[in-house]
Amino acid sequence: MSAVSIRELSKSFGPLRVLRDIDLPVEAGEFTVLLGPSGCGKSTLLNAIAGLEDIDSGTVEIGGIDVTHHEPSKRGIAMVFQSYALYPTMSVRGNLSFGLRVKSTPRREVEQRIAWASRMLQIDELLDRKPSQLSGGQRQRVAIGRALVQQAKVFLFDEPLSNLDAKLRTEMRVELKRLHRELGTTIIYVTHDQIEAMTLATRIAVMHAGRIEQYAAPDALYEAPATLFVAGFVGSPAMNFMPGRLVSGAVEIGATQVPLNGYRFRSTAAPGQNVILGIRPEHVTLAGEDHQEPAIDADTLFMEPMGADTLGWFQCGEHRIAARLSPQVARRISGSVRLNFVMDQVSLFDPLSEARL
Amino acid sequence: MPADRSVAVRRIASVRAAGSITAQARAGRPYRVRSLAAKLVLAPTVLVMLVCFYGSALWTVYISMTRSFLLPTYIFAGGAQYQRLFHTPRWQVAYGNMFLFGALDIAGTLFLGALLAVLLDRRVHFEGVFRTIMLYPLSISFIVTGLTWQWVLSPTIGFQHFVHGLGWTDFVFDWITRPDRAIYTLVFAGIWHQSGLIMAIMLAGLRGVDREIWRAIRVEGIPAWRAYISIILPMLRPLMVTCIVLIAIAVVKSYDLVVAMTNGGPGFSSDLPGKFVVDFEFERANIGQASAAATVMLGSVLAIVAPYLYFELARKNR
Amino acid sequence: MRRASREARIGRIGLYLLLIWTCLFFSIPLLVVIATSLKTSDEVRTFSIFSLPTAPGFAAWVKAWYSACTGLNCGGVHVGFWNSVRILIPSVIISVFAGSVTGYALSHWRVTGANIIMLFLLLGAFIPYQVILYPLVKMFSTIGIYSSLSCIIAVHVLFGLPMMSLLFRNFYAGLPEELVKAARIDGAGFWRIFVWVMLPMSVNILIVATILQTTGVWNDYLLGLIFAGRDNMPMTVQLNAISTTSTGVIEYNVNTAAALLTALPPLLIYFFSGRYFVRGITAGAVKG
Repeated sequence: MSAVSIRELSKSFGPLRVLRDIDLPVEAGEFTVLLGPSGCGKSTLLNAIAGLEDIDSGTVEIGGIDVTHHEPSKRGIAMVFQSYALYPTMSVRGNLSFGLRVKSTPRREVEQRIAWASRMLQIDELLDRKPSQLSGGQRQRVAIGRALVQQAKVFLFDEPLSNLDAKLRTEMRVELKRLHRELGTTIIYVTHDQIEAMTLATRIAVMHAGRIEQYAAPDALYEAPATLFVAGFVGSPAMNFMPGRLVSGAVEIGATQVPLNGYRFRSTAAPGQNVILGIRPEHVTLAGEDHQEPAIDADTLFMEPMGADTLGWFQCGEHRIAARLSPQVARRISGSVRLNFVMDQVSLFDPLSEARL
Repeated sequence: MPADRSVAVRRIASVRAAGSITAQARAGRPYRVRSLAAKLVLAPTVLVMLVCFYGSALWTVYISMTRSFLLPTYIFAGGAQYQRLFHTPRWQVAYGNMFLFGALDIAGTLFLGALLAVLLDRRVHFEGVFRTIMLYPLSISFIVTGLTWQWVLSPTIGFQHFVHGLGWTDFVFDWITRPDRAIYTLVFAGIWHQSGLIMAIMLAGLRGVDREIWRAIRVEGIPAWRAYISIILPMLRPLMVTCIVLIAIAVVKSYDLVVAMTNGGPGFSSDLPGKFVVDFEFERANIGQASAAATVMLGSVLAIVAPYLYFELARKNR
Repeated sequence: MRRASREARIGRIGLYLLLIWTCLFFSIPLLVVIATSLKTSDEVRTFSIFSLPTAPGFAAWVKAWYSACTGLNCGGVHVGFWNSVRILIPSVIISVFAGSVTGYALSHWRVTGANIIMLFLLLGAFIPYQVILYPLVKMFSTIGIYSSLSCIIAVHVLFGLPMMSLLFRNFYAGLPEELVKAARIDGAGFWRIFVWVMLPMSVNILIVATILQTTGVWNDYLLGLIFAGRDNMPMTVQLNAISTTSTGVIEYNVNTAAALLTALPPLLIYFFSGRYFVRGITAGAVKG
């Protein structure tokens, strides 16, 4: 169990800067997820931590040791790959033991570790099979097992669940969570799947265009996204955005002024400033008939029933707004409606810097 | 088509075709339309294959079981031709040479080809230059290859002469003129000509290895040489089998090389079945013996190809 | 940024040394032949072929081209060269055309027994020439064209057919079926689809096939020896005859020049189109 610390890490492919001054402190025992769309640099960052990718500047520290110039095998890491990268001609046992045997680990020790890892992952039955005789989920377990037997200080996962079907993915997610709890090791995990990130991580680093946009616990990330990108990327359906103008204690959207009930500003914002108001679909409600509270007029577009709740889509001026409604409510809606926002859950962003206000 | 050079080429195309036959059968019949034109186009192909290839081959096999001598006759004689053939000293030498030359040529070519592929896979500078040099022999005919090696190995003008000129006058390298060694000199030329092809095939295979396997190997700290021996080359085993089959068939069909290099000599010490058949057919006019020898060649090729295709198809159907 | 360790550096040096050694093995025979061909006749008699020419000149090349002797016939290899060209051009054109049409018919049209035809082609490609040479000679004699230009051309087309057809079939089978469907909906038939849809997409494979068949036909020896007849003897056959002529002093400079002249066309093709050449011979094997 070791902390990982990345400082001012940069990397370019020719003129393309794929990682820009990355700072990422990962505490010992933490489960950090690198989340972002494809091409954001998350896999490159993971490979840089592993030492599989040379970096231009910056340092990587694992367990307090600067490993920037160490070979991958000397960094105290183990890695699980997207394609699993199992050695196809070797049995499961061979896959688990080969790395140890190369390092001349005593045979007893190798046997013990294999027994331990295979029990842990419930692959004892499969030890004599070849990878081609395993199902996707079993291969995944073997790949994790190969990392486990290394007894590394830090585990790196590169989109390990993306080749599994939806059901297996859910199962493996639970499994990974259990493993992390039982082993207590530091894990750095790359994915583009936000559900995976939300469910597994102790902290998520959302990456975009080679930068870390926000590094925070899942709920903090969801409730108070630091940038417009994070707000739009995390959450499904995405957060609703509406341009508005700041007036004292309220945001003016079109002709309506909606009061900001105790919004905690991060920076000082002057009245009159243009803002983008972001609100999650579950915080959009239907206003009562009494016209008392300030509400926004909108036209109903269509309903998307999703089982537990229904997603209502509304047109409001030139913007489209999604609201998470109960199916009972949704059934009754048609024509023009008035929408209410749960104002203590809104986010405000500066349209220029795209940062949270 | 020359007798040997493009053997490799055809084999490769064929193997792929075999794969797609079964792939197609498995995937169910794709939507395709009947067309009279397609049938008319294929009719001559089928006719030519049936008459010129299969009809001729069957004719030869039948003649090998008759009493044919100067001219073909159709009087059945069972295995008499074969009995005589295998009692002919020249055939015994040629047939044995096929195995000797084949074993050494396969081993040498595969080893050198795989080694070069591995070396080039290590991301070297000037890879294009190295590749060009290794592959150019493949474009040269076996006749020119054979003559070239004949000159290089000739004791009177070639390597031995050169070493003598350097002052080391005791040096002897006269294998090409020695009945007990001439067959080995063919191996040099064979390896020289073919290992570039094996290199190219193996290199393409190595380049196709999942990059993440290499990353896993690095993370586990496995030295590169160990990774090639224990992980990467075993992954390419099917490709190596293909290579072996390729070279083996080229060996059975060998003709031009031995004609140009030793012409089967000294005496008939470096004779090969391919040359034996042509000589008996067109110089000695012994069609019975020639047919029997040709049938043995056909059998040898089938013995190599049949199990290969069988396993190859089975592997793809799995 | 990572510094290579000492071992790694030694490994690299060893790797390059091995590569250079093997490249010497591959290139020395050619260099020796070139050097010898540039020597004068006196030099050839006195020095080993490994020595460099003292006064390099093309005299031997000129002699090889115009007046090298096969027995008593001293016409030089240019006779064989032009024979080879006359054999090559029609053989290659017909082979490539036949192969592409056959491959197309086998890949995108439903033909009863298409799989059996393919198996025929496949196994046909494995049959050693020696097995069917004699029957073919008899057939061509019966038709009355044995030992003629048309005979050797027909034989090359015949032996090229399996490989060419399978090469094109594999290529066309890799093209999406929707192309043919779409063209059919537009009302195109067998030939129109071939000419307007398939051929424009086949440029690469046509180049590959042409190169393969060209080097194949040019480098052939056995078929030319048996089917071409005395008047159409291809270059390889003439070269071997020149080199094995043992009357008088062997002029190695002339023989090597003749060998180089024979090897030159495929070598040039290889050096100028190496990519296609290599792709042609390896692409299939990897997938197969």
